Amino acid sequence: MNELIAPALPFDMLPRAREAVRDVKLQQFVGNATHLKDTQRGGIFGRDFGNDYDDLRTVARDTKQYALDHLDELLERFIERAQASGARVHTATTAADACNIALEIARHHGAKSCVKSKSMVTEEIGLLPAFEAAGIATLETDLGEFILQIDGDAPSHIVTPMIHKDRVATAKSFVRELGARYTEDPTELTMIAREHMRGVYRQADLGVSGANFLLADEGAAVICTNEGNFDLSVGGPPVHLVFVGIEKLIRGACDLAPFLKLLARSGTAQPLTVYTSFVRGPRRSDEHGGPKELHYILVDAGRIGVLAGKKRDLLRCIRCGACLNACPVYRKVGGHSYGSMYAGPIGAVLTPELERAQGGHDAGLANYKDLPRASSLCGACYEACPVKIDIPKFLLHDRARLRARGLSPKSEGATLALWRMLSQRPVLFRMALRAVRFHARMLGKADGEQSWLTHAPGPAGAWTKSRDLGVATGESFREWFKEHKRSGGAP
Amino acid sequence: MRVALFTTCLAEALAPRALKATVLVLEHVGVTVEVPDAQTCCGQPLLSNGFPADAALLARRMVELFAPYDAVVTPSGSCCSVVREKYASLFPEDSADHHAAAALAAKTYELIEFLETKLMIDPATLRGKSCATTLTCHDACHLRSINRHGCTAPYLKAACCGDLRDLPDMAQCCGFGGMFSTQFPEVSTALGAEKLAHIASTGATTLVASDTGCAAHLAGLAHRERMTLRVISPAEALAESLGLLA
Repeated sequence: MNELIAPALPFDMLPRAREAVRDVKLQQFVGNATHLKDTQRGGIFGRDFGNDYDDLRTVARDTKQYALDHLDELLERFIERAQASGARVHTATTAADACNIALEIARHHGAKSCVKSKSMVTEEIGLLPAFEAAGIATLETDLGEFILQIDGDAPSHIVTPMIHKDRVATAKSFVRELGARYTEDPTELTMIAREHMRGVYRQADLGVSGANFLLADEGAAVICTNEGNFDLSVGGPPVHLVFVGIEKLIRGACDLAPFLKLLARSGTAQPLTVYTSFVRGPRRSDEHGGPKELHYILVDAGRIGVLAGKKRDLLRCIRCGACLNACPVYRKVGGHSYGSMYAGPIGAVLTPELERAQGGHDAGLANYKDLPRASSLCGACYEACPVKIDIPKFLLHDRARLRARGLSPKSEGATLALWRMLSQRPVLFRMALRAVRFHARMLGKADGEQSWLTHAPGPAGAWTKSRDLGVATGESFREWFKEHKRSGGAP
Repeated sequence: MRVALFTTCLAEALAPRALKATVLVLEHVGVTVEVPDAQTCCGQPLLSNGFPADAALLARRMVELFAPYDAVVTPSGSCCSVVREKYASLFPEDSADHHAAAALAAKTYELIEFLETKLMIDPATLRGKSCATTLTCHDACHLRSINRHGCTAPYLKAACCGDLRDLPDMAQCCGFGGMFSTQFPEVSTALGAEKLAHIASTGATTLVASDTGCAAHLAGLAHRERMTLRVISPAEALAESLGLLA
């Protein structure tokens, strides 16, 4: 798997974040795109739903939570109805199981080639490396994923996988890998990719996709796309494999509407994705197109463990990417800094949690101990989330677990322990504040009522590495207030 | 109504003028302010950095200290949000501590919120002497959790006579984030620099920041970069405009 999204563990985020902040192009591409998407998201919800937006989110939250709370029942219903439609349903406990099921199906058909539409869960389970090892050539047909594939790059955003690249880079890749003539025109670039893909669609043995929702009542899958590549990917090949995390289940078409309203608006500020495809069984005897075989591979890969844990709300996520676009930290560090196919605020909590659920006790956090800290806790993610996942709350929860397991820096812990001790002793606390004022007066540069420190001692030294520290050195508030009261309130 | 000032540790250390201004503005609108002597820190640094049990100890202190009062007012949007949105969750549901924390949450206000929603003071009545300052305002992100994000500037605009200009991309965090500022210093600084660039683009020479931490971060960055920028709290903006503070 690509080391950018599946790094060696334990993963250290800081070096990647540092490098990203210095990368002028990344700052420009990711910063501009996320700001634009975030602004457009606010705009379309304001225009279309006004004050009802929050109610819509509440409905979506409760609907998805209902599905999670009844997952066993919905799974049974989905399997029964999907089978009745002629589809075959497989359940995969682990990522390896999911890959093996697919490899078995491929072997059975003697498959050598595959066309694949965008799917996060296939990134998660490492399907492409498994196919490659088995000699099955896979073509990514989502334009962004295709460009990443020919570049040996990895997605850095859930919805906009190549957010960190631009068309100049794309133009160069197309010249290098496809022998195309150089052009930066987006339409021409799309035509080049289209030309390249069309022939492959017709000859592929397998079509692979993910799904945005599974409808239990109908035994059907719903796939939301913008490029039409999904329908081409599964319409031509004789076999269609749908990889889907079990948390994508909802009760049925009766519950779908709020999610369709929210997904495209949250992700790309569209009222609806260009294509909303419903998959309901393989080709029927009176039909001319469509796959002869349809397989659902329902992936657990830690989800049941998440469901049983304290962060089950995370499974409500519909992968819209709104929290990434809204996050100040994601905007600065980009997706690859998170060392996972799930970047940004949701990734910072979901990645360690999925790992924990699949590994030993707290394997997750021990391997990703920077992730819970990579947030200013500004709350923009929670505000942007269409299913109201309180991501800051879970970050705090993880920080506490890191601390309890001794995985946070000891020096910080010592400073905070001192702080707690002082905060419980008001007299000492006042003395400490006086000491700060005194030292600031001695060490800093006076400027009116303030003193500026450029090299602060002790724990404040980390602060003054990149900014000065202004400390008020004049009369303390308490002294002033005492005098203010004594003089009868005159300022 | 007995009103207590929740001073916050950060303001006592870094911004006593914001506290003076809060007292003076409240007195201007007829509210007598008391300052419970034994208050220290609300516990936010502990809660945000993995010590919720220790934060609960400090929360219990705060609950006891402020029990005698009808309202608790603070100039810090961030500390206010901790009392309001986090305190009760530090204790088991249905415990006496939980209810007491919820009671404190229900009577705690950020200053501008207190003026606008509790005292219901029309900002136009706070219009003071004319002044030539050009200002812009950045709200603390934590005001989001108490539904007050973006409320400071309109209130000050209606009250202050200074030329208060809209801050582009106000919604983006300034990069402070408590200990995040030293844990991810490059990211924190880059976000701060972006904020300063937006501030500079308004032409304002004074920034009103609704939290002491954000103010210290932005003022510190500006000072390091030799950018002339005065950073004050909303309380100081009001007090200056009303002629209560020089």
